[in-house]
Amino acid sequence: MASMDQSAVLEARRLYNARLALKADKTRAVWFPIAVLAVLLALPLLQLTSSNYNYVLHLVLYTASYVVMASGWNILGGFAGYISLGHNVFFAIGGYFAGMIYARYGVSTIILAPLAGLVAAVVGYVIGRITLKVRGPSFIISSLALVMIFRILFDNWDFVGGAAGVSLPAIDLPVKWAKVPYYYAFVVMAAVTVYATYRIKHSKFGLGLRAISKDEIKAESAGIDTRFYKTLAFAMSAFFVGMAGAVWGEYLTYIRPNIFLIILVSVNMVLMCILGGKGTIAGPVIGAILIVAFNEACVIFFGGSEINILATGLVMALALMFFPLGIIGSLARSGRLPRILNWD
Amino acid sequence: MAHTLQILILGLALGGVFALMGAGLSLVFGVMRIVNLAHPVMIIGGAYVAYWGFRLWGVDPLVTLPIAAVILAAVGVILYKVVFEKEAKAATYSEMTVLLTFAVAMIIEGALGTAFSNTQRVTSPDYATDAIFIGDIFIPTGQLYAGIVSLVIISGLALFLKYSRFGYAIRATTQNRDAASLLGVNVNLVSMVSFAIGVGLAGAAGALVSFVFSFFPAKHWEWIAILMSLVVLGGMGSILGTVVAAFLLSVIAAFVGAYVGATWSTMTFFLALFLILIVRPQGLFGDKPELA
Repeated sequence: MASMDQSAVLEARRLYNARLALKADKTRAVWFPIAVLAVLLALPLLQLTSSNYNYVLHLVLYTASYVVMASGWNILGGFAGYISLGHNVFFAIGGYFAGMIYARYGVSTIILAPLAGLVAAVVGYVIGRITLKVRGPSFIISSLALVMIFRILFDNWDFVGGAAGVSLPAIDLPVKWAKVPYYYAFVVMAAVTVYATYRIKHSKFGLGLRAISKDEIKAESAGIDTRFYKTLAFAMSAFFVGMAGAVWGEYLTYIRPNIFLIILVSVNMVLMCILGGKGTIAGPVIGAILIVAFNEACVIFFGGSEINILATGLVMALALMFFPLGIIGSLARSGRLPRILNWD
Repeated sequence: MAHTLQILILGLALGGVFALMGAGLSLVFGVMRIVNLAHPVMIIGGAYVAYWGFRLWGVDPLVTLPIAAVILAAVGVILYKVVFEKEAKAATYSEMTVLLTFAVAMIIEGALGTAFSNTQRVTSPDYATDAIFIGDIFIPTGQLYAGIVSLVIISGLALFLKYSRFGYAIRATTQNRDAASLLGVNVNLVSMVSFAIGVGLAGAAGALVSFVFSFFPAKHWEWIAILMSLVVLGGMGSILGTVVAAFLLSVIAAFVGAYVGATWSTMTFFLALFLILIVRPQGLFGDKPELA
């Protein structure tokens, strides 16, 4: 008798949840991201025409690489609330791991990318075990120290060429098609990453992470293994960043500490998430598009990279002061988020 | 023996400069709970004041020092008014301010880089390249002067905090912001003045740095971690702790540099920072884990 009561309750709850999910689905436009992806996948067909669209491909590819990294960063920084300024370390680990294998044995980094991601994730897990003991400003500073430590290590590690780095063989394709393999690699990775962050956010694990970001002590007392959860989140975000790094090295045809381990790379990841909306799915994507466009405009109108640093800092300060929730977060709070951008 | 003593002296001389570089950072954190990541780039700003003073008019950096301090303090007041006064009321304050000061650091770095380019600079008054010999031990005069001046300034700051009325207010605010406010301390004014003093100290340190190290705008990234290691080891907000940590770590770094290799000497600071944050986040002199 009792068990029947229980199952009736469960059944009612299941129905209620299904109704909620249906209601949430109505505020969402699932077709939109799929349509965007379809357009992006068809885009290289432009190269069949007589003119050369390499610049367009490069821009999309570059944006997609940052979508991968920013969405990856979002798992730790957005969901769990641990802001890391040191995620370019995993970008470097992925890049160097895949790049060195490519240089020695000629295995394409596109095939190696998931493996490179795994290596970055393992390193991330170990580092997370240590650094996630502290939170808030301490964590941010420890992540900065991490970048400095890895920079010195890579600058002085002769096996990977030290500060001069290693040059990698360029792909053997005509100029018009040389970018296409990397283009597909990054677009597919971006799509996978965005979908993965969506699944993570809607899992029990994602719920745990959000509880940690709200109040870690309460989360712990509610029975969440906070230590394991946040370390796993660290490893997962390192996985995606490492994957992007792997292909990025081959695309540039060289790996060098001052490509991967400069502070601007991790600043960009953080800035994209803050500008678009930390902890949202569409936020890092919107942020990546805006920041890449902004950087390109800076280069076109002002040229110098110093102005770029100034402008990036200015955007970051303004975003933090006036839109701490980011574009998606602010729109969602005021109930004006267009359906096509509601990916949560 | 002489060799060991020589390394010790070089380490101590450097420690004196680092102590002043870290003191302002520690003061600002103590009073306002702001981890000012823009502090090192402000030191570089101070160094540029001294550099151009020397280059254009041949003024000694030690003479420009008060001017650099005043200019930077003015920058500090503006920054406080524009950026931090409003932020002080936000809920996610301390984490937000770290990112904000980071953004400010980028703005200043970009501005300095645009104005003066990223070439290495150094001011070269006569004493910067000179040295005093005692037996077979030499003491570089530039670092000696810098160390002495920095200790004088820090002592002055300590006396000000200890005996002046405003110093009382600053220390009261450091200990307990709400209680100080209840007892009639104008907490907002204290915050602004301490921020200005902290940034002014960065300017003063910059004038010393200009003849001790070569500098360029992007150099501050390296110093962020070095200075944070001093401040964290000393216990955030404890100026005495910062000074002790500066001497301790500089001497260790000097020995590492001499026996292991020059590249690994800066690594000492980074590893120390990393380990202290993990093992003892409250530092040597902090009584509670302020940062954690």
